[in-house]
Amino acid sequence: MCKRVRKSFFIPVSVMCLWSAAGVVAQQPKSATKPELSPERAIALAEQGQCRESIATLKRAMGAQVASETQKQAGVVGVRCALAVDNREAVLDFIRLLHKQFPRDPDALFVVVHAYSDLSTRAAQDLARTAPQSIAAHKLNAEALEMQGKWDAAQLEYEEILKKEPNARGIHFLLGRSLLSRPDAGPDVSARAKQEFLKELQLDPNNSAAEYILGELARRDQNWDEASSRFSQAAKLNPNFAEAYLGWGVSLVGDQKYQEAIAPLRIAERLTPGNPDIHHALATALVRSGHKEEADKEFAIHRSLSSGNQRAAEPEKPE
Amino acid sequence: MRGCTCPGHFSRRDFSRLLAGAFFLPRLPVFASPELTQFPFEEVRPEKSGITWTHTSGKSPEKYLPESSGPGCAFLDYDNDGWMDIYLVNSGKCDFFTPNQPLRNALYRNDRDGTFTDVTEKAGVGAGGYGQGVAVGDYDGDGFPDLYVTQYGRSILYHNNGDGTFTDVTEKAGVAAPGWSSSAVWFDYDNDGRLDLFVGRFVDFSKELNKPCGIHDDGLRHYCIPKVYSPMLSWLFHNNGDGTFTDVSKSSGISGSLGKACGVVATDINNDGLMDLFVANDTVANFLFLNRGNGKFEEIGEPSGVAYSAEGRTRSGMGVDSADYDQDGFMDLFVSNLDRELYSLYRNNHDQTFDDHAGQLGIGSATRLMSGWGLKFFDFDNDGDVDLFLANGNPDDLIETVHAQVKYQEPMLLFRDTGKGFENISAQSGPVFSKPLSARGMAVGDFNNDGALDVLVSVNDGPPLLLKNNIGSQSHWLGIKLVGKKSNPDAVGARIAYQAQDLNRSRMKVGGGSYLSDHDPRIVLGIGKRTKLDWLEIKWPLPSGMTERFADLPIDRYITIVEGQGKWK
Repeated sequence: MCKRVRKSFFIPVSVMCLWSAAGVVAQQPKSATKPELSPERAIALAEQGQCRESIATLKRAMGAQVASETQKQAGVVGVRCALAVDNREAVLDFIRLLHKQFPRDPDALFVVVHAYSDLSTRAAQDLARTAPQSIAAHKLNAEALEMQGKWDAAQLEYEEILKKEPNARGIHFLLGRSLLSRPDAGPDVSARAKQEFLKELQLDPNNSAAEYILGELARRDQNWDEASSRFSQAAKLNPNFAEAYLGWGVSLVGDQKYQEAIAPLRIAERLTPGNPDIHHALATALVRSGHKEEADKEFAIHRSLSSGNQRAAEPEKPE
Repeated sequence: MRGCTCPGHFSRRDFSRLLAGAFFLPRLPVFASPELTQFPFEEVRPEKSGITWTHTSGKSPEKYLPESSGPGCAFLDYDNDGWMDIYLVNSGKCDFFTPNQPLRNALYRNDRDGTFTDVTEKAGVGAGGYGQGVAVGDYDGDGFPDLYVTQYGRSILYHNNGDGTFTDVTEKAGVAAPGWSSSAVWFDYDNDGRLDLFVGRFVDFSKELNKPCGIHDDGLRHYCIPKVYSPMLSWLFHNNGDGTFTDVSKSSGISGSLGKACGVVATDINNDGLMDLFVANDTVANFLFLNRGNGKFEEIGEPSGVAYSAEGRTRSGMGVDSADYDQDGFMDLFVSNLDRELYSLYRNNHDQTFDDHAGQLGIGSATRLMSGWGLKFFDFDNDGDVDLFLANGNPDDLIETVHAQVKYQEPMLLFRDTGKGFENISAQSGPVFSKPLSARGMAVGDFNNDGALDVLVSVNDGPPLLLKNNIGSQSHWLGIKLVGKKSNPDAVGARIAYQAQDLNRSRMKVGGGSYLSDHDPRIVLGIGKRTKLDWLEIKWPLPSGMTERFADLPIDRYITIVEGQGKWK
């Protein structure tokens, strides 16, 4: 497993380490810094790699009465410097300050994205180093392998966990999810995945996500009774699970039980009012159960939300 | 992290994403006909058919959207000799394209021996604009089919003079329909016995409005997704019966809905004798124009359940068709969409609502990564059940640079109706179903009069594909040409019921269907291995609405039935 951990973990780690060092020339030189170090000087020192000496001043600079551009630069350089010396607490401080002072600044957001990614990778390294045989390490490695499209290796990781701890919760769910994710799955994939979700429910009858996916699989097969049952159970297990109420309502609509579908869809609407899918399903249930006026309102909301989504997506298309 | 196992932390979107790569291998059941001794379709090569014409799209670095959308094609019997001829649409000069040499559409006359002769010049139907599609109908009731050619710019109505030539009567008729016209269909919406004309309009486009579109991060210029262009109003022209038409788009309610029309089919979804229109729209909601009578339509796409996917999302509707595939007496609808959207098979619930059964019937999984255009329900093996033929191809010629699993050129698909659902039999149906194509239009017609419906596929920037049906004639059949007298001349909207021993079936003659294309106007009734057709009943469209019943019918040949004559010939 350790070999695989190294292989899968180190790909992102190497990329991220290169990034965090990109803005820092060197880290070795040390020199005593004066307490009255100016923000500009601290930035310059940090850019020369004198991170330990400059971090405190850079933090202070972000709250000082200096030009906004200087503040931003202090934050950006501060994140990079803190990462370079692996001062994770300082990294989080800089991120918090950048979020607060430059919440919509592209440069700040870019740095924050990379910082979180880098921190994530380092935490993964910590896990691999300190508890390489733990279930958590296997799970994380399996997820990393999935992201790299190494489905068979990921499946082996999950199976390794089950060998060690056959009753480990969540693993059958992950196996099922992995099966549904892989593009090279065979035509029996849904049946195989279903078995994993059922096993998961034997171990953890309160797993609403497993119930939900079983509901979706049944809905896709237009097995409305099972779909309704699964979705309603998922909603019962997690009363805030809007998607489960939506699936429940959609299944009842599919089963032509339009009046029955209204109640779960109303709950879904209350939980996530901005979801156009819910309004469409509710409108369909309403119009088919004779509530035309209410249906028209829901169709109008659906149109409005959908066109909003479309407008939001449009700027990505033309250059 | 890719989500977690926490309750409630798994969304429909997550699930959809999971499935985006799954199930993509179609289920491939064994072909059910034990008597099958050869592949159902084979390509008739140009050197054999004589069809050497090729479509030119004029692909440019600027990626003008019309370059990716055409062309269409049609089977028609322009000279009324009983043999199906072929019409093919080409691009041409327009504001964004000046071809190096003149381009033209093509009319091929059927030589009755499996070959065709190009008669375009004599017929005078070369068009010359940036063509898209074609609709065929005898609008003046003179017994000769006329041609309506949709174009980007200005469409053309060619009147068939009955002597092998046509005359451009667009201006006199008043049906130029400026803009970017897509599919058109002839049908009689007001039941006055004359064929009216619906012309679908795509988006607001011109050279000046062309947008530079790039998707993802490959740095290449792609054809735009049509959502970046504004929707437009489609046209409905009322046939005045004197060679002219009146634009009734507004008064009929057709222009009350802005769309991006692609395919269109005229059908009757509620059996009220009034022809409705189903229009597939690209990236906006599909339209179902319910004919309310008195010349009025009501757009009921949303409440009927055909506007969106089951999840309520707009799709890229392209081709359409309508048939009563489950023989419950109500017309169902089909729409082809783009990759990762799944095609739609809307089953009629008998109350002016529909539910999408494509997933349940195996069509969803087979089309998950496909992009569909021309399509048609027809009984290719003449067993009495309507099957389904789909022509495919991604509109983006650079799609493979951004999606590893999606191909630009895609194979066609053939689904066989088993009586319980549809089986994807493409893989067992011969090499033509593994041939990658940029298919667009698709027309059905029996070019060799053997009772087996053949297929014509038009290809973007390539030669058309003529497919000969090898197995339809292994079953028994009866082909019928219907001639309306009080009802419209092409009998669009007629219903045909027939009985052959244990087989009882009904068909409706829809208007149009597919994409940019039109079809053999004759109806072929398959009866399988049964050797007798017991009776046949024609319910003619309004205004006559009369029903005629025939017995003692021949099989394995074509007959003509003229409305009101009580006999066939």
